[in-house]
Amino acid sequence: MTGNGTERGQGEAALQVRGLSKSYGSLKAVRDLSFEAFRGEIIGFLGPNGAGKTTAIRMLSTILPPDAGSFTLGGVAHTDAIAIRQRIGVLPESAGYPFQQTGDEFISYHGRLFGHSPARAREIGASLLQEVGLGERASSRISSYSRGMRQRLGVARTLVNEPEVLFLDEPTLGLDPAGQRQMLRLISDIARQRQTTVILSTHFLDEVEQICSRVLILKQGEVAAEGSIADIKRQTAPRAARFSVPPEMHDEALAHLAKAAGIAHAAPANSEPGSIIATFENGWMTENSRLGMNSAIRALTDAEVPILSFELEGSRLSDAFLSLTEEEPQ
Amino acid sequence: MTSMTRPKRAWLVIAGQELRELWLSARGPVLVLLFSLLLSVITYLAAADKELNILDQRQTVNLVLQVTLAIGVALALLLSADAISGERERETLESLLLTPIPRRDIAIGKLVAAFSVWPVIILVAIPYIWILREGGEIFTDAVLVAPLIGALLVVAFASLGLVVSTASSSNRASLAVSFFAFVALMVPTQLPLKGWTGDALRYTNPVTAGSRFIEKVVVDNHSWGDEVSLLIAPVLAAVITLTAAVVLATRLRIYGGFGR
Repeated sequence: MTGNGTERGQGEAALQVRGLSKSYGSLKAVRDLSFEAFRGEIIGFLGPNGAGKTTAIRMLSTILPPDAGSFTLGGVAHTDAIAIRQRIGVLPESAGYPFQQTGDEFISYHGRLFGHSPARAREIGASLLQEVGLGERASSRISSYSRGMRQRLGVARTLVNEPEVLFLDEPTLGLDPAGQRQMLRLISDIARQRQTTVILSTHFLDEVEQICSRVLILKQGEVAAEGSIADIKRQTAPRAARFSVPPEMHDEALAHLAKAAGIAHAAPANSEPGSIIATFENGWMTENSRLGMNSAIRALTDAEVPILSFELEGSRLSDAFLSLTEEEPQ
Repeated sequence: MTSMTRPKRAWLVIAGQELRELWLSARGPVLVLLFSLLLSVITYLAAADKELNILDQRQTVNLVLQVTLAIGVALALLLSADAISGERERETLESLLLTPIPRRDIAIGKLVAAFSVWPVIILVAIPYIWILREGGEIFTDAVLVAPLIGALLVVAFASLGLVVSTASSSNRASLAVSFFAFVALMVPTQLPLKGWTGDALRYTNPVTAGSRFIEKVVVDNHSWGDEVSLLIAPVLAAVITLTAAVVLATRLRIYGGFGR
């Protein structure tokens, strides 16, 4: 799986959010949230706990009324809650299931609630359960489903109305790696095949890197960063580089790196023999990253120290995320 | 999107699902079985042991009707008290609120399921009344008056339970408040109500008034017209609480309360 979705700016936005705000008493849960989402794109909705992701999703799904701001979904204003709900699918973070029902009863029931006839609701239910890989367990009680199966059942439920926008709040939480991979593939397929816009709220940043075309990072209810994953990574400069050299040349490499231009200091990495972390001078990498990396590499190659591996610390989405959302020490 | 229309009469879909869950699962049938066992014991004691039974036949039929009324009202109240707050606690409410059906339809569908307890309970009670009857007149009076009073009180209490459930963020709180309301309104039926306060309570408490109406018609053989004033409180209670339940349901929220 790779970054998915339609390029930004193509066609009309499926979702346009303008200045959405929500407070609980004195706590401002979401402040002035604005963004656009286009057909078929998957947007990673990121933020630490309490950043306002769930509140934002609840406002966008008409469960909570905003205190200020507005949004349109498929051209429908947020004030027409019923029309909005007809156009969205939502998998809440803590979605409960009626354990006494079977998978097909559950999906058919929701199909009926979206206005389908009993026969059509059953037909849709069978098709969706097949699509999410639960076809063979359709007539089993939900109580016998694993967590991963329940999550896929939840996704199937969100599709009964062929939504234009799908909000998924932590869909892979509690799933094992195989379940996570299966869920990501499913989300990716939904966006690609159905051209559904997916707003994916998750704490798993590797998932975001795998399937999202854009990310929106919230911090204390405000947008801390928005853009493509590459844009976000660029907003936070790498802070250090990790070099791996032969253990017998470790000390020599350390000395050369410490003297290299733009390197504030070099120190052995704690866990791995032959591994060195070279920390860049503050701001230096931002100004001339290519030169900085080359300078450090040249210091080693000139000294004929073989570089077994080289990795920029801070070049991952998780580094950018932490840099953008971590509190400054008081 | 598919060619969906806004769901019409969605309360029927909700009611159908709630009725299936109540009556096709163990919950409803077990409650009815327990009620049936209770009536069997009362009927056996009344019909088989004439020497120990100090009540005459009309009073015995009245006792069965009063027990039936109390059980029917309690079950309807507790079912509706669990209807919203239970979904909230089981985390299934959000999925329901995310559907395009009006909140009012959710309330009506759930109320219909709670109301369904009463016809079932009264159907179970009828054979016992038949066994205990003495002559056709008391049977006719009993099977006409009890369903009517029961229906009014079941509507009132189920609606009250739904209002409490809609407002409660915890299911335990909803059930506790509803049960307390049930006990508080039921206790005066067992008290000797005397003086003007007794009269006031008799006519204003819908349970006391309904219970008294049944007693007057079945035991004292009064006509319905003689005691029509006793019907005012049950009718008003049913209308007011039902209206409140349906109106307040439009403000149903994912958390408790009725605010924005």
